[in-house]
Amino acid sequence: MDHRPLLGEQYNSTTLSLRINLRFALRHRESSEIILRRCCLPLNKDALWYKDAIIYQVHVRTFYDSNGDGIGDFQGLEQKLDYFQELGINAIWLMPFFPSPLRDDGYDIADYTAVHSSYGTLEDFRKLLDSAHERGIRVIIEMVLNHTSDQHPWFQEARSLRDNPRRDWYVWSDTEDRYEGARIIFLDTETSNWAWDPISKSYYWHRFFSHQPDLNYDNPAVREQIWNAMKFWLKMGVDAFRLDAVPYLVEREGTNCENLPETHNILKELRRKVDEQFPGSMLLAEANQWPADLRPYFGDEDEFHMAFHFPLMPRMFMGLKLEDRKPITEILQQTPEIPPSCQWTLFLRNHDELTLEMVTDMERDYMYDMYAESKTMRLNLGIRRRLAPLLNNDRRRIELMNGMLMSLPGTPIIYYGDEIGMGDNISLGDRNGVRTPMQWNGGWNSGFSLAEPERLYAPLIQDAVYGYPAVNVLSQKESEHSLFRWMQRIIAVRRSNGVFGRGSIEFLYPANHRILAYLRRLGKQTVLVVNNLSNSAQAVELDLRPYKGNILIEMFGNNIFPRVGDLPYLLTMGPYQFYWFRLRRV
Amino acid sequence: METLSPRVSSRGRAEVHAELKLEDETFLTDDFLRHLINVGEVDILVGLPTHNNAKTIGSILQTIQNGVLKAFPRERAVIINADGGSHDGTPDLVTGISIDDVRPASNLYALRTLHSISTKYASSPASGVALRTILAAAELLRAKACIVMSPESANIDSEWVSKLLRPVYCDGFDLVTPTYRRHKFEGLLTTNLLYPMIRALYGVRIREAYTPEFGFSSRLGGQFLNQNNWNDGTGAGAELRFTLAAITSGYRICQSFLGEKEHVERRGADLVPVLRQTVGALFPALESDFPVWSRVTGSQPVPTTGSEQEVRLEPMRVNRKRLREMFSTGVAELESVFQSILSPSTLGELQRIARLGEEEFHYSAELWIRTVYEFAASYQKSVISRDHIIQALAPLFRGRALTFLMENRNSSANEVEKHIEGLCLEFERLKPYLLEMWKSRE
Repeated sequence: MDHRPLLGEQYNSTTLSLRINLRFALRHRESSEIILRRCCLPLNKDALWYKDAIIYQVHVRTFYDSNGDGIGDFQGLEQKLDYFQELGINAIWLMPFFPSPLRDDGYDIADYTAVHSSYGTLEDFRKLLDSAHERGIRVIIEMVLNHTSDQHPWFQEARSLRDNPRRDWYVWSDTEDRYEGARIIFLDTETSNWAWDPISKSYYWHRFFSHQPDLNYDNPAVREQIWNAMKFWLKMGVDAFRLDAVPYLVEREGTNCENLPETHNILKELRRKVDEQFPGSMLLAEANQWPADLRPYFGDEDEFHMAFHFPLMPRMFMGLKLEDRKPITEILQQTPEIPPSCQWTLFLRNHDELTLEMVTDMERDYMYDMYAESKTMRLNLGIRRRLAPLLNNDRRRIELMNGMLMSLPGTPIIYYGDEIGMGDNISLGDRNGVRTPMQWNGGWNSGFSLAEPERLYAPLIQDAVYGYPAVNVLSQKESEHSLFRWMQRIIAVRRSNGVFGRGSIEFLYPANHRILAYLRRLGKQTVLVVNNLSNSAQAVELDLRPYKGNILIEMFGNNIFPRVGDLPYLLTMGPYQFYWFRLRRV
Repeated sequence: METLSPRVSSRGRAEVHAELKLEDETFLTDDFLRHLINVGEVDILVGLPTHNNAKTIGSILQTIQNGVLKAFPRERAVIINADGGSHDGTPDLVTGISIDDVRPASNLYALRTLHSISTKYASSPASGVALRTILAAAELLRAKACIVMSPESANIDSEWVSKLLRPVYCDGFDLVTPTYRRHKFEGLLTTNLLYPMIRALYGVRIREAYTPEFGFSSRLGGQFLNQNNWNDGTGAGAELRFTLAAITSGYRICQSFLGEKEHVERRGADLVPVLRQTVGALFPALESDFPVWSRVTGSQPVPTTGSEQEVRLEPMRVNRKRLREMFSTGVAELESVFQSILSPSTLGELQRIARLGEEEFHYSAELWIRTVYEFAASYQKSVISRDHIIQALAPLFRGRALTFLMENRNSSANEVEKHIEGLCLEFERLKPYLLEMWKSRE
């Protein structure tokens, strides 16, 4: 068994015996039980494990219901861990599961160190954690730093009296005039970043929904409590946090209240503590910002390990529709270098709307017209649809987009259900249309739950194209050519070569703008990726002269292609086709 | 083109002998084809014929790009430069202005790549060959709407792109010809011959049938490319034949007002080459189009966006004496030529007015029209060398131009327009005269 590395620890990887640095353990007051729990794990030792990760994003509620109440739970998720192994996933990102009134799907937290009773118990979660680790699967959980639910006891206290000790845990004002430079994020529902509290007769600051008051990070007590919450989960064995809404922690007059230096200082402090006390853990930033504004979140390898590359994602969709690589290459040209231990996180879709915040007005209009003709599909500044419906269920385009996801520099995240091409239900409000139950089979409740269908937390997708009788895990497992099987293969190929997770990228700029081609390099390994973004066959000539003499080996079939010579390397490609070639000099 | 002739052998099996008959080799170079492959299918194609236009091409290209990106930001577009062998680096300036992920535009926002490619055609500079290259590219790229722009237009405006393209791309027209604001004494060949004659014969009121800037559909472009005879090498007058092909084939035509028309360089009128390109293209077309124009009576306007024509009136110096001398000298020196072309009465009348003094000189509309029609009929019969017929028209046109200048020297814009309209109606009225001559000489 492999064991997670810890500072000051030495361990024998072939047995369960440990030689623990007692001085280290005592200094950090860790119990031997916890150390044992954290160490007896078949996870790889690499501190940069997140660079090789294939992350699966899932909401506990949506995945599998073990107790028949219509809501997915930890025990259900644990029962489905083999599914992740089969798919090839080695990390899961669990959406918020803390106690919450669920007015924002759990991102409105009412208790940071417990679990929502609908999903099970803390012990259920621990068991899930251990079972995942036994399978070599790391677990990433959410930590919503910026705000709590207005039902959180902290806020209930803060609002009760102006002189309550916790008053200063939130941001209050007697007027709405402060911080006028801050934009409103949830434009469809909020008209102001200030909400009137009738109990304390003052305004409180909220960057998101009005029922999510912002914590006051200028208050050391807040910072300490949040760290305590993180410590709670890290001690239990959680491998990483996705820190939600991090740009907005601190407000300052005369600014747009985003990405402020004070915010970065707070985050650096958290990172320092994580590194000291829980080495090998990872922090993932959710910061929907332009690439240049994202770079500071990596610091000098002293802030976040990973950050979502938000601006790239809509441009992948744009490039596909335009049949032009320009939006993709341009945003990556603008993407700054990041420290060696840091990593971008790439995704196609997630639980939120396909955000169009980080595009120009013209690009946004184009995306709306191309992907969300009906205004009901639009939410805030985005499109609330799943991957398959966005791509009109075109298998070739789905494969191409996943091919780019798996081959561009960064760690890919697969949103649950997208590996089988699940559809969405836009008649469900907010973003709930992309959070429907997982479709396991064509039977009762699609195998998600034994409850009566009316009791399900959300209705199943039932239309003729995406409905669960047509789209489900069981039927796709039985078909060699299903999307599920294809996803398995591409994940396996990706994982077979470290160049995808850790290598550099060099774009080739063939004259045919419909072709997106790049080289990924790691040490002596070089992989050539060529993507045809158009729906028609294309010919492309690639300048591979620096690689003259190399034989191209196509990575899915392992067949050899002609050797690179002096002339431009000619490839012909079918609609939406892509190639991954390993360059080999014999 | 390969032709197959089946022949049954003595054993009863069909033997096929392929006779390989080569068409003229493709005039598109491999390099250009490679560029076209890289461009792929487009929605909009802008054709730009050039020859040594380095001084002005930069600003013209910038204007075209502005126009395309502003009016058609989402469309797939390409600029195709057909160059007649420039020595001043014109093609490099064209290709250097592509907007892509390697060369982003510094001051323009482009949603997608805007290619700009250049090819040198294998002949001396000729607008017809350039047009053919552009039409071929348009067909290969399946462009939905195309325009040809002139590098000689000094005041090209980015709005011209939209005005010439939008009727094709959005409104389903096949040909968009421009109208301009010109000085009343500019374009005399157009106002005194091409416009009224085409109007009278073909029944369509197109102000600028021979124009370096126009828009067209892929349908029209493809038909003209494949049906036109390009074997004369230069393709002279192809633009005019293009307009006539649109008329005779029943394509939807409209006009679009572009505004002021200025030329990069004001060259001295080199009339004979201009006549060759215009009248030298019109007259042969009358032969092939006879079944069409012979049945047309009257004329109809075409839909026009903006003004049909606007006239500037500022004073212009005209060398009347020189024009009159050239007319009179021409009438005298080419008498034997005119005897082969013109009727005795027309020639006699020309000789009479050639003897008039400067103040009395008047080349009436009716006389001019009879002159032109007799030239056309003689051209059809090739009474002498056709090129000599065209050349012989030059001094006579100068006489007519002088009369037009004198008649309109104090005219307002409306009055000029009335005179031109009057001339057009005369052309229409006298059309039977042409028909009679045409048929009588068969």
